[in-house]
Amino acid sequence: MRLGAVIGRVTLSKTVSGLAGARWLIVSPFTREHYQRGKETPLGLSKDPSVVVYDDLGGGLGQTIGFIEGREAASPFDPPVPIDAINAALVDEIYYQPFSK
Amino acid sequence: MLLARVEGNVVATRKHPSFEGRRLVICQPISNGGDAEGAPQVAIDAHGAGLHQRVIISSDGSAARLAVGDQKSPVRWMIIGIVDEKQPGEPV
Repeated sequence: MRLGAVIGRVTLSKTVSGLAGARWLIVSPFTREHYQRGKETPLGLSKDPSVVVYDDLGGGLGQTIGFIEGREAASPFDPPVPIDAINAALVDEIYYQPFSK
Repeated sequence: MLLARVEGNVVATRKHPSFEGRRLVICQPISNGGDAEGAPQVAIDAHGAGLHQRVIISSDGSAARLAVGDQKSPVRWMIIGIVDEKQPGEPV
């Protein structure tokens, strides 16, 4: 699971069956630098490319979420669906202490 | 599997039900020399890894689903062990 900030939403008029009515979020993934800012939305976008994430928890604009990428994102669905990123947690608090030698 | 260092944890009330009662720890992948490499990953932790301990994290989803006991869970990254020492190099 990676953390990221929700920077937008997508709606689809025509979808693969099984994904009708789904909610989609555009998420900018956190890099190492972003973690220091806690749950605040980081200023500016991440250097990593943004991803579209399937959402059934109700994430909103500006929120920090935890999303899972890869084949595992589709495991909650019984007839398989072609998704590879899913929102798994709405983050309340981040406790982060970087290690220094 | 990646060598990583525990750098914190995440609190989430609204989450996939399979994460209920699981510790979510922030794991920073590190190089052989201990320098950070790439973006941190959040993994579930069954072993009670402490802050700044070195761990091995695995991206095997099927083993992680077994660990949380839910075959429909999207869980992927899991701490599979805590590093005592590594060759070559000094002990932790």
